[in-house]
Amino acid sequence: MEFQSVIIIRYSEIFLKKKNRGYFERIFKNNIESAIKDIPHTFTTTAGRYYVENFDEENTEKIVSRLKKVFGIHTMSVGKRVESDMNKIFHTAKSLCPESGSFKVETHRADKKFPLNSVEISREIGGRLLSSNKKLSVDVHNPDFYVYIDVREDGTTLVFSEFFDGAKGMPVGTAGKGLLMLSGGIDSPVAGYMMAKRGMHVHCLHFHSYPYTNMQAKEKVVELAKVLSSYTCGTRLYSVSVTHIQEQIHEKCADELMITLLRRFMFRIAEILARRHSMQCLITGESLGQVASQTIEGMTSSNSVIKKLPVLRPLVGFDKNEIIEKSKAMEAYDISIQPFEDCCTVFLPKYPAIRPKLDYIEQEEAKLDVYGLIEEALSTLEKIEL
Amino acid sequence: MIYFDNAATTRPNGRAVERAFEYLQDKFFNPSALYQEGLNVKNDLKQAREFLISCISNVQDTALVFTSCGSEANNQTLFSFAKRGNCIISAGEHSAIHETANELKNRGIELRIAPLNPDGTVNQEALLKLVDDKTGLVSLIHVNNETGSINDINSLAAAVKKINPKTVFHSDGVQAFGKISYQMGAAVDAYSVSAHKIGGIKGVGGLFIKKKLYNVLKPYIYGGGQENGKRSGTENTFQIKQFQYAAEDKFKTLREDLQKLHELREWLWNALDKTAFTRISTPSGSPYILTVSVPKTRGEVLLHMLNDRGVLVGNGSACSSNAKNRFSRVILACGIDENTADGIIRISFSNQTTREEVETGAKILNECALELKKRMNL
Repeated sequence: MEFQSVIIIRYSEIFLKKKNRGYFERIFKNNIESAIKDIPHTFTTTAGRYYVENFDEENTEKIVSRLKKVFGIHTMSVGKRVESDMNKIFHTAKSLCPESGSFKVETHRADKKFPLNSVEISREIGGRLLSSNKKLSVDVHNPDFYVYIDVREDGTTLVFSEFFDGAKGMPVGTAGKGLLMLSGGIDSPVAGYMMAKRGMHVHCLHFHSYPYTNMQAKEKVVELAKVLSSYTCGTRLYSVSVTHIQEQIHEKCADELMITLLRRFMFRIAEILARRHSMQCLITGESLGQVASQTIEGMTSSNSVIKKLPVLRPLVGFDKNEIIEKSKAMEAYDISIQPFEDCCTVFLPKYPAIRPKLDYIEQEEAKLDVYGLIEEALSTLEKIEL
Repeated sequence: MIYFDNAATTRPNGRAVERAFEYLQDKFFNPSALYQEGLNVKNDLKQAREFLISCISNVQDTALVFTSCGSEANNQTLFSFAKRGNCIISAGEHSAIHETANELKNRGIELRIAPLNPDGTVNQEALLKLVDDKTGLVSLIHVNNETGSINDINSLAAAVKKINPKTVFHSDGVQAFGKISYQMGAAVDAYSVSAHKIGGIKGVGGLFIKKKLYNVLKPYIYGGGQENGKRSGTENTFQIKQFQYAAEDKFKTLREDLQKLHELREWLWNALDKTAFTRISTPSGSPYILTVSVPKTRGEVLLHMLNDRGVLVGNGSACSSNAKNRFSRVILACGIDENTADGIIRISFSNQTTREEVETGAKILNECALELKKRMNL
């Protein structure tokens, strides 16, 4: 039988775009191509649909699993492309049908010159399937499976039986660049994922306090950045040491403000790095009220040191359980729960300040050489290869 | 690099590796094969077995089952002999006993834990109170891997047998074999060892077992019936021979090593800054181990700082806020407070350790500990 395997890709929100649709499509195509560039295939595009063809059958699953991580894809189908000939369409449809059960044929006819209309095609193929196998039956309301027939204008027809969900969202790279403050926990990778889903190209910054944290903690962050990178068409990972900052806070400032003050340093360092690399916002995994530093007062304290960039907190309204679900779905959870602490716990206060007042924070911070410490921390900046 | 983590593993004895490699090239045959070459290898294994037995016992009374490691030997013993009644271990056992005993507990065996003295040895009086006519197995570590404390297992075993002669007595001898002078006493029934703590290669260990109990020992791995059916799987001839050669070398110098390391350990302790360091391991413990603490710091932090300066030590306390992962249960069982337990590192030597290494090591240990104290504002 002459047919070839095809993966049909349908895109999501891009179709809402008008004048700049070309821009979105160009980036989207590049993202798809780069996701599967190491697997031999051909890639063709038509209005609203893309096709991956001429690949080795054995690679089908591999391609589909990679494409499931490309934002902007609404649904995908794995099917066959045949010549638009009723006999060939029938044989292909039959090869996709299970041995028994109820089915429904749905036809879309883009080629208006094809002699039969869509209803007639469905009826004929359905009839032939029925008479070819006595264990099949038709159920147009609640079938066990569908046979989809799509007669294209180029003289070929696509036959397939399923729609898989894509990652949806917008193509990465269409909504600017952001710097994610990546810890080794559950939340921040999810925050990065959610911004990438809206088309943002996300890069990561990790703060460590070696020797108070260990090498395994760093490895864990690298692994998390790799997971994120599989959705973002390439993520850069930067790391900065905040060891001396923590030591200075410990020595000079009120114990209860350790985290509050440390976060202000982290935000300042992140903004400097983001602006240096033309990134347009900071992203954090904060969720309101989750821990002592993630109260509205804590967020106000951190935000007040930011000069220009917006701080995006895509998880601010989520419960921990919801975040865990997303973390599992993006395949980061098992890495996140490895027991290596990413942040120094040696200096953690027993009772951190929950609603610190800005005046008090600033008064304590004034005991430190803030800019000297930031400069020193930035001198430890490292770009980690993923 | 100064390697002070020999209780974790030692550098393989190069001469023993070379000899074993030559052996392997020449006699690679399967010892179960029926042709002469296979039989020769079987005889060579027998020779290795007999030599290793002669190091701590005699072949008339004792057998040796080669295993993949000390943990396997420990598991095999516990699952073979702790079948009913109660099983007694000490609070100072390595995880390979502690976790296995917990699994036995899950399977319905009553687990009793003997407390430790402040020096890390088993409290004999308390131990003997736990023994009764239902005690199936007692397993006590010979040299503790964290503190170096030495239990006099021959006399402990004899005391246990006085109360219940049917109790099987086992000891985990992984940190003792080839390091301290020892002959298996009449009351000690089983003894686990591992090759890589004395210049062997990771991947081979053994269980010495008295012949009167040999028939009762259950295999842990079933299959082709190797090791008299006690441990199936094709014998790891290369590593077993290397173990034999490494042990030959190690036992030859055992006494002079003890003397040398005793001096080096005490020299190192005397050179450490007492404003920073507190000694955990006692002078009567194994001279191969010196456990110290910088109280109120974290051992792992000091470990990283020493690592950056080229000194490799073992860790006590981990960088974790979770108390369960943070403190060593063995250290706490010695009655050491949490602040001190937090700052523990383990310095462990081999007979390759030199005076120069100890001198340079002491200097770096002092510098790092004082720097850490300063950085932590202590």
